[in-house]
Amino acid sequence: MTNQKSYSLPSIMTSDSSLPWLLPLITMLVVFAIIPFFYNIYLSFHEFVPLKRALIFVGWDNWIKLFTDEIFWGSLKVSLYYTFVCLIIQLVLGMGIALLIDSDDPGFGVIRSILTLTLVIPPAIAGMIFLIMEDANYGLIPWALKSIGLLGQEDTILADPTLALWGVMIVDIWQWTPFMVLILVAGLRSLPSEPFESAMIDGAKPFQIFRRLTLPMLHKVIAVAVLIRGIDLWRMVDYVFVLTSGGPGTATYTLSLYSWQRFTFVQWGYGATISLFSLIVILIVGNAFIHFAKVKW
Amino acid sequence: MNKVVKQILGWFVAAIFFFPIYFWITVSIKKDKDIFALPPKLFNFDISFQAYEEVFGLSRFLYVEDMGAVRPGGGDFYMMPNLVDSIIIALGSTGLAMLISILAAYALSRLPMRGQQHFMGWILSTRMMPPVAVAIPMFFIYKNIGLMDTHLGIIIIHALMNLPLAVLLMKSFFDDIPKDIDEAALLDGASRFFVFWRLIVPLAIGGIAATAVLCFIFSWTEFIFVLMLTQTGLKTIPVVSTSFVTSTGTAWDNMAALGTAAIIPAFIFILLVQRHLVRGLTLGSVKQ
Repeated sequence: MTNQKSYSLPSIMTSDSSLPWLLPLITMLVVFAIIPFFYNIYLSFHEFVPLKRALIFVGWDNWIKLFTDEIFWGSLKVSLYYTFVCLIIQLVLGMGIALLIDSDDPGFGVIRSILTLTLVIPPAIAGMIFLIMEDANYGLIPWALKSIGLLGQEDTILADPTLALWGVMIVDIWQWTPFMVLILVAGLRSLPSEPFESAMIDGAKPFQIFRRLTLPMLHKVIAVAVLIRGIDLWRMVDYVFVLTSGGPGTATYTLSLYSWQRFTFVQWGYGATISLFSLIVILIVGNAFIHFAKVKW
Repeated sequence: MNKVVKQILGWFVAAIFFFPIYFWITVSIKKDKDIFALPPKLFNFDISFQAYEEVFGLSRFLYVEDMGAVRPGGGDFYMMPNLVDSIIIALGSTGLAMLISILAAYALSRLPMRGQQHFMGWILSTRMMPPVAVAIPMFFIYKNIGLMDTHLGIIIIHALMNLPLAVLLMKSFFDDIPKDIDEAALLDGASRFFVFWRLIVPLAIGGIAATAVLCFIFSWTEFIFVLMLTQTGLKTIPVVSTSFVTSTGTAWDNMAALGTAAIIPAFIFILLVQRHLVRGLTLGSVKQ
C-alpha cells in the first residue's frame, strides 16, 4: 500500500466515523426536506395580500378554508380514486403479464426489453401521445370505440366529466403497468423451484399453487412495488396537466394539480396548505405501510 | 399453458404496449393530412422530415419565412437551446447526486452508525414528498437566494429529488461487495478513504453506472420542478413540449419530433442497464 501517503486527509476522514461521509447528504436533505417542510407550514398560516404586496399572518384561516372547500374535497376524491384504481389495475394486470412472460424460452427476453421502454418516456410526453390518440375529432381511441359501439357518435373522452379521469388513468396504466410486470417477473424468477415441483407432484391445481405458494413467497416484492407505485400515483400531476388541466370544470383536479393551480393564482398560502395536506397524508400512509407490510431496505 | 399460445400472447402484450410509441414516431414523420386521417394511417403515409428540420435547426435557414402563415400557432419551433438545457441539467444533477450518494452509501453500508434504520427511513420519507409540496417553498427560497430560473437551481433540485434513489441503490450495490476486502486492506494499514476510492468504487462501477443512468433519466423526464422554478431562462424538453399546444392549434408533428428525439436516447440508455433495472426501480430492495 505505497500509494497510501498520497491520500493524506484530516484525521476525521480517516477515522471510522460515518459523519463526514454523510455530511453532504445530510446538508442536501436538510435543504430539500426539512427547510421546505417548515417553510410550507409557515406558508400555510399566511396568505399573500395583493394590496399590501406581502404575506400576512392569517392563523388557521387556510386550514378552515381547506375543509370547507368543495373543490378540495373533489380533488381529494379524485386523488384517492386515481391512486387506488390505478394501483389495483396495474397490480392485477402486471401479475397476469408477469406470469405469462416468466419464461426462459427464446423471445421472452425481447418482450421484457420492449416492456421497459414505456418507463423512460417523460410523463408529460406520454400525456401528449395520448392527447392526440384521445382527441375528440381525429383521435384513434374514440374512433375505435365508436366503430365498435362503445362510445356514442357525439361523445368525447377528455371533455366528458365521467370519462375524462379514465382518459387520464389509461395513460398511467399504459406507462406503469410494465413497472409492475418487470418487478414481479424479477420476483418470480428468484423463487426456488422445489416447492413448486413438489406441489405439482402432489397434484395441486395451478390456481392453488398461485394462491398458496407464489403469492406468499412474493409478499415482499409485491409490497415494495405497491409502495413505490402508490407514492408516485398519489404525487402524479404531469398527466392531468397535459391532458385535461383539471377539466372539464374541476372533474380531474388532483390534490397536486389543485395546489399548483392555487399557487399560480397567487394564493400562495392556500396552495401550500393543500400541498402540505397531501404531503402529510402520504408520509403517514407510506410509513404505516412500510411498518405493517414489514418492508425492509 | 401451451408454449406457442404463451409466445403469441406475450408478443401481443408487447405489441399493445409498444403501439403508442410507434404511433408517436409515425406522427413525427407524417404530413398534416395523414396525422388527422381516420381510419389512422399506420403504414401507408408519406414520409416527411420537415418537423425535425424545424425543431432542430434547419428551419432557421430554410423555412422560417413561410412558417408564420402556414403553421398553427405561428411560433418559433426551434428547440435546440432546450435540448442543450435538458442535457446540462440532466448531466449536472446526475453528477451531483452521484458524488453525494456514493460517499453516503459507503458509510451506510460499512461504517457503524447509531439510528441507521431511522436515518434510512428518513431518506425513504423524502422520496414520498409530492414535488408540488417541495416546489412551492423552494420557489420562495430560490427567489431570495437568486437561484430562480437558473440551471444551477434546477440541477440542485433534481439532484435532491434523485438522492433517495441514488443513496439506497448504491448502498445495495456496496452491500453486495464482501466486507472482507475492506477489512483486509485496513489491516494492511490502508486508510478508509483509500479503501473506498481505490478498492470499493472500482468494484461497484457497474452499479454506479446503472444508478447514474437512472438519475439521468429521472432528471430528463422531470416536469413539475422545471415548470414551477423557471420562468424564461430555461425550459427542459418535457416542459417545452407543452408549448406546441397553442390557442390556434397544436403542432403535432413538431411535438412528436421533439418527443421522439427525447425518448430514443433514453431507450438506448435503459437497455444498456437493463440488468440492474428492477433493482433500480425498487430503490435497491429487489435484486434480479
